[in-house]
Amino acid sequence: MKILLIEDEVELRKSIKQYLHQEGYLVESAADFIKAQEKTGVYDYDCILVDITIPHGSGLDIIKQLKEANSKAGIIIISAKNSSDDKIVGLDLGADDYLAKPFNVAELNSRIKALLRRRNFEGSKTITVNEIVIVPEERKVMANGELVALTQKEYDLLLFFVINKNRVLSKNVIAEHLWGDDSDQMDSHDFIYVHLRNLRKKLTEKGCTDYVQTIYGMGYNFKVN
Amino acid sequence: MKLINKTILSYLLICIPLMIAAGAVSYFLIRNELSDGMDETLEREKLNVQKLIKSFREPANTYLGYDSLSFTKVVDRNFRSEDIYSDTSIYHKKKSERRNYRMLRSPYTYNGTTYLITLARPTIEEEQLMDSLFSAFCIIIGFFVFSFFIVSWLLSKKLWRPFYQTLTELGNYDIKQHKTTNFKPGKITEFNQLNNELTKMTDKIHNDYVKQKEFTENASHEMQTPLAVVRANLSLLMQSPNLQESEMNNLEAIENTIRKLTSLNKTLLLLAKIENNQYHENTEVNLNERIQASLDLFSSLIEAKYIKTELQIDPEVCVNMNASLADTLINNLLQNAIRHNNKGGLIRITLDPNSFTVSNSGEPLSITEEDLFVRFKKNDASIDSLGLGLSIVKSIVGIYGMQIRYKYSPPCHNFSVYF
Repeated sequence: MKILLIEDEVELRKSIKQYLHQEGYLVESAADFIKAQEKTGVYDYDCILVDITIPHGSGLDIIKQLKEANSKAGIIIISAKNSSDDKIVGLDLGADDYLAKPFNVAELNSRIKALLRRRNFEGSKTITVNEIVIVPEERKVMANGELVALTQKEYDLLLFFVINKNRVLSKNVIAEHLWGDDSDQMDSHDFIYVHLRNLRKKLTEKGCTDYVQTIYGMGYNFKVN
Repeated sequence: MKLINKTILSYLLICIPLMIAAGAVSYFLIRNELSDGMDETLEREKLNVQKLIKSFREPANTYLGYDSLSFTKVVDRNFRSEDIYSDTSIYHKKKSERRNYRMLRSPYTYNGTTYLITLARPTIEEEQLMDSLFSAFCIIIGFFVFSFFIVSWLLSKKLWRPFYQTLTELGNYDIKQHKTTNFKPGKITEFNQLNNELTKMTDKIHNDYVKQKEFTENASHEMQTPLAVVRANLSLLMQSPNLQESEMNNLEAIENTIRKLTSLNKTLLLLAKIENNQYHENTEVNLNERIQASLDLFSSLIEAKYIKTELQIDPEVCVNMNASLADTLINNLLQNAIRHNNKGGLIRITLDPNSFTVSNSGEPLSITEEDLFVRFKKNDASIDSLGLGLSIVKSIVGIYGMQIRYKYSPPCHNFSVYF
């Protein structure tokens, strides 16, 4: 999987690159409009992460050019301008998703995965982790061949875990993924605990291994060997 | 007091003593003039009487033709030899009234005999003349003063009209509106100058205000990227395999703080955007649908606190506003009602065509009602909230010209939005 990251902030570029690299992606980056144009002109990417405000031009123009060239790359806008106008313009131009800074890299990762999955880049419509099979299109989870009835939040939680497997996910990151902008409520950590407890129970009832490790003081890790 | 009234009153206060003084002075002047004239007449008559006396063959007393009050009389040689003018009043039996007379007593010596000439003239004509002159004078003065007031009142009204127009224009000026002041140019230099200065001033204030607002928005934007860098690096750091428990605790503390900072920044940005009128796409929002969605979102929180919900909702109510702001408005009010509720408390949501009310049971306020909608004022400092929820509600309500009111009717806090 080849990803192009168009982002002018050097530190952010570095850390996103590092995180995605650990996920097994081949990540290239461009710091400004000209470099981005060069790269998109020469190479094909599976996914392109575009910041709107970049030196020497606008990320929106890159999207326009990509669409005019009939590029098949999935496009995710990452912007500090969390304005609905930019979002609408970007999505109208043909971007697939929009993520406002400051986002979590785990969240970015799950968006990339979802995008690639939708575009069927990974060749399969299901996600398999040992005995667990998830069918995202139908929001269905099978464990050892049996259907597991999950609530919406439990399903979202499991999918988030599986996509970011073998990574420590803090409660804040999980809360933000599950409740989005409304995660600033009190007690959301307790709710994660409740949802996780139910999820674990439902999975172990079907004979699944309990993959979720509690990392004291930080969060959880969906550990798969 | 209005400027016109104050001016007129001041004029009046100055004019009254002046008029009284002028009246008195002219009264005495006229009277002196008239009595001088009378004295001259008496003097002329005296000379005639002296001629008459010279024609006497022997000393005698005579009544003079004028009336019984005028006569000559032979007196002692040693009589005072000066003319005496005097005023006297004599009762008239026929007309049964007192009449005023001017009298002259003048001793006159001829051929060794001293006569006392006494002449009296009624002053009634002079008095009548005096009266009519004085009244004429008063009427003229009064007419002048009256017309002066009328003219100055009318003139003031006309002259100050541009000033009052300017005042009205200023009163209607709203810094939040993107509208410059529009003063009408007039003929009076000072007022035009005033208008020019005011226009310059309001333009400058408006520009500063816009810049200030943009600054808040830009500052919040600029903070997003550094925050993203911190969060990304924090995520990477968390993946280190050999973290000690104490290090994990530190990491969590940092992460919680960053999250708080992030949501603070996001909220400030939201407030700035609301106030910068960036939510201009309005649609007819069905509030019932939004309320249901919001209740859905918070359902787990409501259940966790064992809160009972009561709904009295008119499902047809629609309000023309931005859909995402409608959500923010409802979510913030509901979140507020959950956060400050007791365990096992109550939330009542009422919606009718005129108003939307969220009521919740809870402890009485520890801050004043005025502070409720002020940024960063929190009723309970220990609660993990930013203290911005209600100020967002107020901003949203403000841009649509709606009203938000708070009422405490124990044990319920009621927040009502009037459309």
